[in-house]
Amino acid sequence: MDNNFQVLRLVVIAFAAWLFSLPLSIASGSVGAVLGASFAIIVIQRAHSRGDLDLAIRLPAILGAASVIALTGLSIAIYLRNGSSLNQGVSALAGESLQPLTLYKSGEFIAALLLAAAVCGTLRLLALRSAAGRMAEIIFTASSIVLTLTAHRNGMIDRPFILGDFALIRGYDPAYLLMSIGVAALLALVAINLRDTSGSRNFYHLSVISIASLMLFVFVERIGLPSPELTNDLGLTGNTGQSEHDDNPFQDSTNDPKDKAAPVAVVVFHDDYEPVDGSYYFRESAYSQFNGTRIDYASRADMDTDLLAGFRDPSAANIGHALSPIPAAPRKTVRTTIGTLIPHRAPFALDTPTGFTRVANPNTTRFDTTYEATSAVPLFDYNTLIGRETGAEDWSEDLRAEYLRLPDDPRYSDLAHSLTASLKPEFSNDAFAQVWVIKQYLDENGIYSLKNAHATEQDPAASFLFGDLTGYCVHFAFSAVYLYRSLGIPARVGVGYSVPASNRAGGSSLLIQAIHGHAWPEVYFRDVGWVIIDPAPQQTLVDMATDPQDNLQQLLGDMLRDDASFDQFIAAQAEQRFDFGLLAKRLFASLFIAAFIVLCLSYLTKAYTRLAPRFGRSEWLYRSTLKANLERLASMGFNRQYGESREAFAERCQELSPSFYALTRAHLQRSLADKRQPCSTDWLALDHSIQQELRTNLPLWRRIAGLLNPLSSLAAR
Amino acid sequence: MTPDTESSLEVATTGLSVDPTALEAPISLTPLSEAQRVLHQLIDAVKQKVLGRDDVIELCVIALVADGHVLLEDFPGSGKTTLAKTLGEAIVASEMNGQDGESSATGLSAFRRIQFTPDLLPSDVTGVPVFDPNENSFHFRRGPLFAHVVLADEINRTSPKVQSAMLEAMGEKQITVDNTTYPLGDLFFVIATQNPLDLAGTYPLPTPQLDRFLFKITMQHIDRDAELAVLDSHLAIAASSEPAPITVKQNDILAARETIKKQVAIDAAVKTALVDISRALREDARVLQGNSTRSIVLLLPALQTAAALDGRNYVSASDIERLLPRVLGHRIELTPGAGNFEKILHDVMAKPMEELARATLR
Repeated sequence: MDNNFQVLRLVVIAFAAWLFSLPLSIASGSVGAVLGASFAIIVIQRAHSRGDLDLAIRLPAILGAASVIALTGLSIAIYLRNGSSLNQGVSALAGESLQPLTLYKSGEFIAALLLAAAVCGTLRLLALRSAAGRMAEIIFTASSIVLTLTAHRNGMIDRPFILGDFALIRGYDPAYLLMSIGVAALLALVAINLRDTSGSRNFYHLSVISIASLMLFVFVERIGLPSPELTNDLGLTGNTGQSEHDDNPFQDSTNDPKDKAAPVAVVVFHDDYEPVDGSYYFRESAYSQFNGTRIDYASRADMDTDLLAGFRDPSAANIGHALSPIPAAPRKTVRTTIGTLIPHRAPFALDTPTGFTRVANPNTTRFDTTYEATSAVPLFDYNTLIGRETGAEDWSEDLRAEYLRLPDDPRYSDLAHSLTASLKPEFSNDAFAQVWVIKQYLDENGIYSLKNAHATEQDPAASFLFGDLTGYCVHFAFSAVYLYRSLGIPARVGVGYSVPASNRAGGSSLLIQAIHGHAWPEVYFRDVGWVIIDPAPQQTLVDMATDPQDNLQQLLGDMLRDDASFDQFIAAQAEQRFDFGLLAKRLFASLFIAAFIVLCLSYLTKAYTRLAPRFGRSEWLYRSTLKANLERLASMGFNRQYGESREAFAERCQELSPSFYALTRAHLQRSLADKRQPCSTDWLALDHSIQQELRTNLPLWRRIAGLLNPLSSLAAR
Repeated sequence: MTPDTESSLEVATTGLSVDPTALEAPISLTPLSEAQRVLHQLIDAVKQKVLGRDDVIELCVIALVADGHVLLEDFPGSGKTTLAKTLGEAIVASEMNGQDGESSATGLSAFRRIQFTPDLLPSDVTGVPVFDPNENSFHFRRGPLFAHVVLADEINRTSPKVQSAMLEAMGEKQITVDNTTYPLGDLFFVIATQNPLDLAGTYPLPTPQLDRFLFKITMQHIDRDAELAVLDSHLAIAASSEPAPITVKQNDILAARETIKKQVAIDAAVKTALVDISRALREDARVLQGNSTRSIVLLLPALQTAAALDGRNYVSASDIERLLPRVLGHRIELTPGAGNFEKILHDVMAKPMEELARATLR
């Protein structure tokens, strides 16, 4: 029996060591950790059962030895990894078989072996020494489970993959699987450790822990686990939040190139629409007001009224204002549903939005925000814009001036005028012609590159435009806008996403990825509104293509559309699997009722035990008085140990209550000697004086706690 | 001098003929408190001379009154002789004027010490018939065993022949020489010692012979204060005249023995616990040979005496806890490597003792 329990403990602790090793090491390291933990426990347990182990060994000695072993392991690992001289030496000995990879693996193995042996050995020694040590061992196991569990919240995929995949394939949350394993491991370890200590109250301890574990499941089912920190990319890359808006837009983003594919939003089209210029533009915000150094978000309420300030903007229901569609500028109403996968500053929609409506989020774990947007998308080509005036009729002079401010740098105006000078005379004053010639200048001479040297300049746009003309969308957009403004054309920088139309691939959903983040110049033409005129540099140093993610696009689109078929699919999945949550709820409810009944019964027993001396038969007084006072003492934490004699217990309590000693003697006298003789002892007086003594010797809280303790009548014996 | 002299005299005269019915009537009159007083007197008498050994003294007195013998395992020079001698001298004949009648007839001295050596012969211990040319007949000359308290020093150093003669006297309270049986006193009490170290050239007592000893007491060195007190009192005793020794009459002890046997109750639950402990010990895998039934039978009066010493008229769990390790320690043979007897006994006792504790609440 003993051996079985020790094997179980070994398995549990080795399992914990394995879990700990997973994120820290490779497969050979995990094997090493399991072997190291097992070896240390077996050695210590053997020595202990033979009685060779001196448990009086000092704690610093244990910790010192453990750290020496652990450091030895780590330094061997580092040496094997880096020590080229050794590598050569060993290679010379072992021939060519010892590749660096082999050395690396064996280094990990040795490091994990010794580290696990040191940690688990120390814990086992401490556990043998004291109850606190046993707690440390339990906490070690618990934390291994907790760490593994937290990595798997909300269906995230993490090591150990075999467990995560096992659950995900069958449609369970891997967190539950891990929680079950963890709770089972913990209960086993707690049970074994309780078994090591003597005493029959272990049963209560174990049942309390079991109920607590069960409650864990119910609470997780009801409330859920705390969500992992929201990241840009569903936890795929570990990138946090979109910070582009708060920083200098010219600042290079620090994102890894591989983050470019991370999905940020999905759009479902309710009406078919193919953009004229080959890209879908989703505007989120705009830089329009000059702040002294560069143009920034508008602070005036009458600027950029086509944009929403945020998700809670009261005008969200209908924002279309500047559109008085004219026959010459045909537009089409397109309804879209947009689900963002990461937090955004403001809702975005196809150009030009006319209304936003929030819709129910079909999957809160996937989507950050979901809303429906209606847009009047432009169907006109640029010919419509020729000969058109700029700015709206209802703009005040003051407002128009805001859209014309630019850095105090004459070079913008000089360059703009020199470019427009080449225009034919009939177009020399036409706003669109001026805009177009500047766009063409940038197209032909600009070089698109994500690496640039302008970010630290006072005016990065000037550094770009009058420098090497090498930069990315932000540089192009700002330069263009400054040039337009220098010619008296109201312009701003639109910020949002631009997705190639081909990405839609004929489907109704469109995936927006991080790489689609974009900035572009916009010009306000009278009766048309803000028109996007995006420079397209012919030379580029960056490969902007991304792998088509049709499956993900389809999946997220279906999810967002909340299709019946998708619901059916999910429902079918749900039907197939066993509802653990319901079972847990029922189990918990019945346990709760059972616990309530047990509680009532135990309080009744307690009351009966305490009141029996007053109302019971007088010839039973010798028993009922002792019983009542045993219960009274037990409720305050004074228990007779198993096998301890009544006198020994009474002697232990003598300082607390001398009368209890007297009562015990009188009780034994009555029950062991004078069975039939009438007894002269005044039991009730003894009872009274015990209460009196307890009142003087114990603090009030302890007596109140004793009165409330429901288990005391079980503990009294 | 509370007990009436007549009954005491009767005890003295009939003391040697073992006839319980004759004793019953007069002795049952003695109250338990009187027995307790006698016990305390004996203990006080020894405590006057032997310091720092209160527990051993009490156990010896319990054994004396409970009609058992004691095996002390101790180092030389730890006060065994003083203890035995004081105990022997504290017991005096019942009546000074009646002395010529019985005491000279029994010829028992208060205390004798026998140093056991390998070349000792049984006759050296028991006595030998000597030819008296005047009377032209053999006259039995009594050996050192004819005493109330006999200190058998280093009993394991002598040959088994002597040991068995010794053990007959202990078991039967009589000595047989040349087919003549000489009775010993009812109070015959042996304190045997053996040295736990230095075992070369000894004849260790086999377990069945150890069974004759009620207690085996392993003594520890006395504590620092007591040792200092021993040094002080040694000089003081040598210089001044000794304090008046406390003495207890033989008959009082015998009366106490009877009183305790009759008046201290042993509940059925206590007996159950004793039997259960014995059975559990015999079944325990770590125990090679369990204790005999005789050991429990011998234990009962000892339990009663311990209870009386504590002023109780009933045997309770604390008496068992106190005496059981002393009684069973030398009667149990453990399997090799089984470990500590105290721990095994503690394990085995827990359940029956728990039952005993619960029995009173049922």
